[in-house]
Amino acid sequence: MSKLLEVKNLSTHFFTDDGLVKAVDNISYSLNEGETLGLVGESGCGKSVNALSLLRLIPNPPGKIVSGKVIFEDQNLLTLSEDDICRIRGNRMAMIFQEPMTSLNPVMTIGRQLMEPMEIHRQMTRGEIQERCLDLLKRVHIPEAPTRMNAYPHQFSGGMLQRAMIAMGLTCNPRLVIADEPTTALDVTIQAQLLELMKDLTREFGTALIIITHNLGIVARYADRVNVMYAGRIVEKSTAMDLYKNPRHPYTIGLMASVPRLDQDMKKKLKPIEGQPPDLIHLPSGCSFHPRCSYRVERCLNETPELKTVNENHEIACWVDVRT
Amino acid sequence: MKRYIASRLLYSILILFFVSILIFTLARLMPGDPIQAAAMINTDLANPEIMNDLRAKFGLDKPYHEQYFLWLTDFAKGEWGDSLGSGEEVLAMFLRRLPVTLELFIGATFWSFIIGFPFGIIAALRRNSWLDASLTTTSIIGVSIPVFWEGIVFIYLFAVILPIFPPSGYVPFSESPWENLLSVAMPTFVMGTQTAGLLARYVRSSLLEVLGQDFIRTARAKGLREKAMLIRHAARPALLPVVTVIGLSWGYMVAGSFLVEYMFAIPGLGRMGVNAVFARDFPVIQATLVIVALNVMLANLTVDLVYGYLDPRVRIH
Amino acid sequence: MSDETIDQLQPQRASRIGVWAVMKAILKHKVSCVGVVIIILLSLMAIFAPLIAPHDPNEQDLYHVLENPSRKHLLGTDDVGRDLLSRVIYGSRISLLVGVAATIFAAVIGVILGLIAGYKGGMVDMVIMRITDTFMCIPGLILLLVMAAALGPGLHNIIIAISLIGWTGFARIIRGQVLMVRELPYIEAANAAGASGFRIMFRHLLPNSLAPIIVAGSITIGGVIMLESAAAFLGLGVQPPTPSWGKALRIGYSYLEVVPLFSIAPGLMITLAILAFNFLGDGLRDALDPRLRGQGKKIE
Repeated sequence: MSKLLEVKNLSTHFFTDDGLVKAVDNISYSLNEGETLGLVGESGCGKSVNALSLLRLIPNPPGKIVSGKVIFEDQNLLTLSEDDICRIRGNRMAMIFQEPMTSLNPVMTIGRQLMEPMEIHRQMTRGEIQERCLDLLKRVHIPEAPTRMNAYPHQFSGGMLQRAMIAMGLTCNPRLVIADEPTTALDVTIQAQLLELMKDLTREFGTALIIITHNLGIVARYADRVNVMYAGRIVEKSTAMDLYKNPRHPYTIGLMASVPRLDQDMKKKLKPIEGQPPDLIHLPSGCSFHPRCSYRVERCLNETPELKTVNENHEIACWVDVRT
Repeated sequence: MKRYIASRLLYSILILFFVSILIFTLARLMPGDPIQAAAMINTDLANPEIMNDLRAKFGLDKPYHEQYFLWLTDFAKGEWGDSLGSGEEVLAMFLRRLPVTLELFIGATFWSFIIGFPFGIIAALRRNSWLDASLTTTSIIGVSIPVFWEGIVFIYLFAVILPIFPPSGYVPFSESPWENLLSVAMPTFVMGTQTAGLLARYVRSSLLEVLGQDFIRTARAKGLREKAMLIRHAARPALLPVVTVIGLSWGYMVAGSFLVEYMFAIPGLGRMGVNAVFARDFPVIQATLVIVALNVMLANLTVDLVYGYLDPRVRIH
Repeated sequence: MSDETIDQLQPQRASRIGVWAVMKAILKHKVSCVGVVIIILLSLMAIFAPLIAPHDPNEQDLYHVLENPSRKHLLGTDDVGRDLLSRVIYGSRISLLVGVAATIFAAVIGVILGLIAGYKGGMVDMVIMRITDTFMCIPGLILLLVMAAALGPGLHNIIIAISLIGWTGFARIIRGQVLMVRELPYIEAANAAGASGFRIMFRHLLPNSLAPIIVAGSITIGGVIMLESAAAFLGLGVQPPTPSWGKALRIGYSYLEVVPLFSIAPGLMITLAILAFNFLGDGLRDALDPRLRGQGKKIE
């Protein structure tokens, strides 16, 4: 498999009235063609900012990508001209956002919004575009597609809207789709349907997928590989299988213990991670996780651990090697 | 949509009814007998016999509720009575002066648009820059500056010191298009200043709010370039609150026209209104109040309809 | 349940913001600082007018009428030879008095009607709000002209007329606030505890609506000053010889070519006063409106 995306030492900072927020702090990872990557972490850990940084969609001010490289299909997206990055957005790399209710324009028909990426990126007639959109709506299981094209977002249910969003992300047949918490606003049953759908479609088109979520269950089921983020940094990087069976970073272990698992004794109590998510302006010294960590040693307070390989497919950023 | 329009119309009719009562009451509140008051100004009427005739003619000898319905039905029929001052039919006066005031309204709206929109848009796109700060401050000044003082300063600068425009007076368009434009240039600008400032502020805040919304990010993520994004995605939702302001300003521009027509000696409806108040010419006062209220209500109704057109959430339930 | 208990149930009193917090917010807002400084200067001018004014504002000098600025008369003299600077200084009294007094009366009328409409709901609400809409159909200046003509000239009548016009905005704001606050748990708790309607309105609903009233009040003062001077400009104002900016503007306008400052100077004062209150209103809105607070800080 060939490398599709490589992120090197990416840092995105926000310059707020209250101080500097290192929302993404020196992270590196890569993704192969057709692969699915899960980005996991609590809200505020920088996973969404990371995704937005790839397409340079960070609102500036207050945000700014301060350093790093995003190499996608052999070009560094961070040095492209505004025109060139526009040619990538929605075309080679697309995004599916959370909150479908607010992420679609309320005063524009679904059809127009759906057709827009192809109008921008493809030299196709209106008829051809319309045909492809109708086809896509059927693929995402939206009934009565032709009439739905002329409807407005407020006439759709949340699940329907998210289906339309998925269709919109796929219209130009991108090589990479980033799904930012694509199902958090929806019912659990619909969540599963949609993820299944997304997975099927990306597999069919050979599209790589980055799923951003705080739900480890989703990651275990749909991702090939996983990056766990905490306070702007990647703390654990692994294949989904290995991570699920063998979490090595105390934070990941804590996350695992806080969600119910079918493969474990049902009587075992769920254990939430203690303490509060970190204040991003005043991060703890050393390893940001140390105040909440039950494994901490002296060193954690002073030195920030870098990622290190613990076995073939597994890297963690921790001074303690926890084996569970 | 039909139900929406119907409900707005029904509401307007209800308010119109309330307004007519208010106007009738206000006119009756004028001290003393309107005929007596008029006689003090127009001495031709100062004769008990003529005054009694006039009272009978206006139905002033009847009870109030009868007077009210008489006035209402007459008004609806287009019988607006005669001016106590000049004896001219009020409807004819109104129709003769309407085009003049309408020209002022259109001119003022023109100025407010070509200043207000660019100011607001630029301020929003350059948020928190020195340009934004100065445009926004200029807008507050525009909102705060009283029409009559701005008019005086303009007359002093551009008619007295630099005699470019006539200091006052009005030349009809049919007489000389060029002189007509010269004569309305300053009055319309002065009349439009407040609206321009309001527009600039509302356009700025409304555009900023829209630009912060999730669907704008979606539009960017599709690969739309900034300009296309603004026109296709931001313009319409950002226009919604602005439409309300435009409607409100149009309704309230009447106050500006009263002042501007008075100080620039322009023979429009505003001047007619001011003169009528001082002459206690109550048929004219009543008619003026009705026209003013109708103008406000029509503006509101138009806003509601435009809103329905622009926002599918209002149109389709 | 005692009132204190009900107070504890109240999650947060959004509008009971400390005076200091508001002051700090205003100080941070440059434009509203300018407003505050102008308002303070104007108030000092009004209060200490007899000390500041170089001449008696009513002293006529028929040998020196319509003069341009000189060493003796820094702004020149008016049509009956009175010192213009002194009249401008004294004029601040009328504008500020009318502005503040009419706004307070209008606020009281509006708040009471708005509270009743929002709290009672139903028919009462309908009637009050339709009356409000009715008043809003006729622009203030025109209502004022007709009312002032009906009531007759004079300072009191002007204040009364403007109060009767300006209440509508307050009524709407309060009603909206009450409708929003009414459903909050602690109001329901007060209701359940058997607090009287009157008590609930004034002790619980009103404090929560203070912030928007203060913002509207500041902007309304500016509007009232504009209304008063516009009416005076058209010829309906305080009785002579009371010095008034609007009146001076009206008379000075006829002599614009001879003594421009006669009308321009009082007009500038009117503009400054209106501007100051609008500036302040702007800053207050930013400081008091929780919806606008903390913008641009949201990250995820």
